[in-house]
Amino acid sequence: MSLAPASGIVGTSEKRGRPIGLLLVAAPVLLIGWMVIYPIIDAVVTTVWLPDESGKYGLTLRTYRFFFSDQYSLDNLYLTLWTTVVCSILLLAICLPIALYLRFASGRLATYVQGLAIFPLFVPSIVLSYALIRVLGPNGMVDMLLNAVHLPKLRSPYLTPWAPVIGLVWDHIPLVVLILTAGLGGVSNQSVEAARDVGAGRLAVFRFIILPRLTNPILVALSFSVLGIFSAFTIPYVLGPAAPEMMGPFMQRTFRDLYDPVNAITQAVISFFFCIVFGLFYVRSVIRNRQA
Amino acid sequence: MRRRTFLIGTGSALAAAALPRMAFAEANRIDWYTSSDQNIIDFWTNVVKPKFEAANAGVTINLVDGGDNAGLQAIAERALAALGSSADPQADFFEGFDARQPVGAIDKGLWIDFSKENLSNYSKINPLAIKIDGLPQNLPYRGSQVLLAFDTTKLPADKAPKTWPDLVAWIKANPGQFIYNRPDKGGSGGNFVVRAIYEANGKDPSLFAVDNYTKAKGDEALGKGFDILKDLAPSLMDKGAYTSGNTQSIQLLGQGAVTMIPAWSDQALSAISQGVLPDTTGLVQLSDLGFPGNFARITIPTNGANKALALKLADFVLGEEVQSAVLTELGGFPGVSWDYVSKDLRDKYAALIPTSIPVWPGGDWDKNMKDGWYRNVAPNVDRSK
Repeated sequence: MSLAPASGIVGTSEKRGRPIGLLLVAAPVLLIGWMVIYPIIDAVVTTVWLPDESGKYGLTLRTYRFFFSDQYSLDNLYLTLWTTVVCSILLLAICLPIALYLRFASGRLATYVQGLAIFPLFVPSIVLSYALIRVLGPNGMVDMLLNAVHLPKLRSPYLTPWAPVIGLVWDHIPLVVLILTAGLGGVSNQSVEAARDVGAGRLAVFRFIILPRLTNPILVALSFSVLGIFSAFTIPYVLGPAAPEMMGPFMQRTFRDLYDPVNAITQAVISFFFCIVFGLFYVRSVIRNRQA
Repeated sequence: MRRRTFLIGTGSALAAAALPRMAFAEANRIDWYTSSDQNIIDFWTNVVKPKFEAANAGVTINLVDGGDNAGLQAIAERALAALGSSADPQADFFEGFDARQPVGAIDKGLWIDFSKENLSNYSKINPLAIKIDGLPQNLPYRGSQVLLAFDTTKLPADKAPKTWPDLVAWIKANPGQFIYNRPDKGGSGGNFVVRAIYEANGKDPSLFAVDNYTKAKGDEALGKGFDILKDLAPSLMDKGAYTSGNTQSIQLLGQGAVTMIPAWSDQALSAISQGVLPDTTGLVQLSDLGFPGNFARITIPTNGANKALALKLADFVLGEEVQSAVLTELGGFPGVSWDYVSKDLRDKYAALIPTSIPVWPGGDWDKNMKDGWYRNVAPNVDRSK
């Protein structure tokens, strides 16, 4: 009964607030148009509208043809995709248990775990990179600990594709944990207790009560971290192997060292198209969330 | 009421802080930017700045660390954007930059042509240094050379390799004990690669000049050098790993992970004096043909507010006082010919520093050496074996 006038109020204010609402939105929309959309269009145009041998400008796809026929460039793209996929799987495997623990545990230990999980947020990646050389690098802390208990030396991941994976996963833990924990806030204690009362085991509670509520946050968390990992620069630059390189260092090297902006922009456009696919996942899940 | 006053007060304070700071170049203050490492900034802070300010009352130098080349490029782009307008680029002096950047800056007249500025010390510059890149917009003022740094506890100084064949033999006899950085990420690895290319081409640096690159010649000459490096790769640390910078190589030597690295002379000396490298670090230069070196340059934008003072500073830096300090304080080489360094110093360092520094030309040779290395040397190693 009391809902009816409330919805009436919302309805009228919506009509009256429309121009103001649009004005309020205008600033960020214009900003995105100017700082994001326009550079994207500009980048695409720069890479397809190029002079030929005689210096006449025309439509051409030659920089893209070069990228997709050049094994070196393709190897870099594959490594980037591989790193992104491996990092996503590891992130989910590490962060989901942490988030579940933080949601259901209470007490001092949980506070410490939360602090530890959020800590990487405050460590700049350049500091992290050099610290990881000290810890994981040859004769680093891991080697010393193994040596202390008379275990054989492990091959150091430093300067192999696994070092950026370790660094990037560590760097993205807080983001994923925060989003998942927020998503788990939507799972009420009552529903979990109700399921337990009818005899659901831990696994059944997870599978039928928690997971359905969590698919959206998982998608959001993954698409966010994928975007970050795909375009990562510092960690693969300092810790990764010389070749193949990830797209971030590859673009930077093409642009700054080879003075070749057109090919660097081509690499950026290609990276952008891969990121847009993950971005669409995010947008889709937001829309689905709204409708729900 | 009090709460509201507080809100208004803090609100306007925050708003004031968020306003873009309007900054203008101050008169008589040279805004100086560098891409160099900390040892160079220390050198300017402790030696050049006090000497210049003492000699020119009322003038100050504002030393700003631009971080790296990309940092300076951003500031140079600001200056380029301000060119032709009355806007103030707030930059008067670039240390360790290259007038080739940003693309097109020379054609638009961003950089001062030093050969036309009648600097009193311009004629003293080492002709070799000017020949390197052949750009009068780059003013070379200090040089540094790559040498080998090694751990004398594992390799006694008298057994250290003194020629390239000795070095190759040592690397192969001690697999995993040598590493160099990627040629584009720092000059110590870059000049190691160049030295291999010289070795493959009859040890003749004069074959490579800034204007004689052709694709056929490049593929042949560089390819032979890359073959030497590919042959070395399985004997390097982790069967072909390459660090991503001068500093990381020094870190690995300091951690005892490797026994020998190529390193910049000035950087190795300051690492030893700061304790990053232990006192037991040995340094050696090859005697058959030294590792190449390079000169750090000064560039000055034509539209800086204090252009005249910046030119005066450039001239001052080329004077005997600073040039001698480059040798004694920095462990680098003077940018001027050796005749213009005091005789004592000339005698003292004569034995240490070879009379010729092979120099690798910038431009096409450099670009193709770096990219060719990535495409030919770096990937072709199966490191799992």
